[in-house]
Amino acid sequence: MLALDLFVNGLIFGLFYALMAVGLAMVFGVLKVVNFAHGEFYMVGAYTYVLCAMKLNVSPWVALAMAAFAGAALGWTVERLLMRPLYVGYASWSIMKDEYAVVVTFGLSLLLINLVDKVVGPYPYRGPALIETSRFAVGPVMLNGQKLIAAGISAALLVALALFIKRSLWGRQIQAVAQNRLGASLAGIDATRTTSLIFAISGLLAALAGALLAPLINPSPDVGAFPAIKSYVIVVLGGMGSLWGAMAAALILGVLESFFAVYVSYDYRDAFGLLILMLVLIFRPQGLLGEKGREV
Amino acid sequence: MNDARNLWSRRLRTDFRAALSIIAALAVVPLFVSSPYWLGILVVSIYFALLALGWNLLAGFTGQFSLAPAAFAMLGAYATALLDYHLKAPLAIGIPAGILATALLGWLLGRIVLRLKGPYLALTTLSFAEISRVVVGNSHEFTRGDQGLNVPTLMQSRVGYYYLFLAVLLGVLCALYLLMRARAGRFWLAIRDDETGAASRGIDVVRYKTLAFALSCAICGLAGSLYGTFSQLVSPELGLLLQTGLVISMVVIGGMGTLTGPVAGALIVYLSSELLRGVGNIQLIVFSLVVIVFARFFRTGLFGLATGRR
Repeated sequence: MLALDLFVNGLIFGLFYALMAVGLAMVFGVLKVVNFAHGEFYMVGAYTYVLCAMKLNVSPWVALAMAAFAGAALGWTVERLLMRPLYVGYASWSIMKDEYAVVVTFGLSLLLINLVDKVVGPYPYRGPALIETSRFAVGPVMLNGQKLIAAGISAALLVALALFIKRSLWGRQIQAVAQNRLGASLAGIDATRTTSLIFAISGLLAALAGALLAPLINPSPDVGAFPAIKSYVIVVLGGMGSLWGAMAAALILGVLESFFAVYVSYDYRDAFGLLILMLVLIFRPQGLLGEKGREV
Repeated sequence: MNDARNLWSRRLRTDFRAALSIIAALAVVPLFVSSPYWLGILVVSIYFALLALGWNLLAGFTGQFSLAPAAFAMLGAYATALLDYHLKAPLAIGIPAGILATALLGWLLGRIVLRLKGPYLALTTLSFAEISRVVVGNSHEFTRGDQGLNVPTLMQSRVGYYYLFLAVLLGVLCALYLLMRARAGRFWLAIRDDETGAASRGIDVVRYKTLAFALSCAICGLAGSLYGTFSQLVSPELGLLLQTGLVISMVVIGGMGTLTGPVAGALIVYLSSELLRGVGNIQLIVFSLVVIVFARFFRTGLFGLATGRR
């Protein structure tokens, strides 16, 4: 019955991974660049949650909302200040576009890590749980309240995001800009504002993932590196830029990893995801559900 | 056409002379600085200058934005250290073996990522770097894991090491200058600017891209191997992504696609980071900020600012 326990816990981690990865996939879908500071959005979310709950003594639920706001504001600011040259004056940038994006987001990641390290301190903090329970067993599966409620919120957020993208006007605008920026602008969509919106959503989801996991992981400034790498794997596996691919790949990776760690090797579990990433990029660059014929 | 060629040759010559004058200035430094601490700092900054030159060959000249320079430094250092640890091989074999091993691995990685561009290339090299670090750090019985390995040293004298690193830097710089002046350099630049165009003009893109990978990684491996003998300890920390971040920031600040840029950038970044360390460990905050500002507003780096090319 160990297998069922591993499966459920893997699925729960898959939900958290999905929350991280969909933002990255959306950003890639619309700008065709990888945001190497995505893990730091997660870290900022975790810290906002913990510090608000501990220093301001607000209820954990309010702290969660504050973390979401901080993530959205950070994502919006980053897009406004650093990402705009990628599509304003597009032609002149076409050669160095990818390099610029890597350098700037890599620099941003270093900046945020070290800023938090300096201002808050390098020691891990432990945040309060949304609800305090001890571990309990459902059949053969060991769970605790925080993990269960965090997984529930993640699942709800993912469903809400899917509905938002599919149904709402803004969501359709996002789809349009991701498919063809110029065509979308010709149809009267404000592509610049839509890109800001995408970064805000991406930051919000990553920050919420960090805040939800904060009671379980004890955030330290470099806590974002690990989930960020998972998100790269997922986004590549699901087909860069594909939202549904990312959601599916996140759940698959969560379950695979949880089995790999127990049955194959715990030490090499982080290398396992990266190996998948390399193999997919080399043999099936469009990912599991990605479009064929994308220039690679 | 003739003008354009002359323009490039002239620019490269100016660039090379500027880099040589930096090395000349470094050569007289031990006359004034005798503190072993500061000589050690200078040796480390020359180590970073070598990594920066190696990475710049790939990213700045050939347009292949790899995220693995620090990983190759680690692999070069470990090749030397493992040969000593398991086989008691002398450094005269160990160091060339480190260079050879990284050149081969670089060639292999170059073959693997041949068709990948931009973010795909960055992610694949990033995973290569992280996989090699995780594997080295976890193979406890073979590499002693995170404890690291002790390496014999080439000499005890700090000044001696300083001049050794400086000589290697000079050698690498001259080799790069000759390569860039020759056919290979023109081909690399053509591949960087327009790969399809280069192929259509009959350039063997596959061969020159893998050559750039092998050479760049060999330079990083050489730097790592020498650094291992200098610090007498190699550990997986050499391959941290943070180190790659430092190398990239040095090249971006100094000026990508030049010879002077990486050398000047490495010296400026590492030396001022030592000074800033006194002001309460803010060096990484300052540099990441500076890198973002340079990438955003001064894309040709300090070298571009100094020569008025934006």
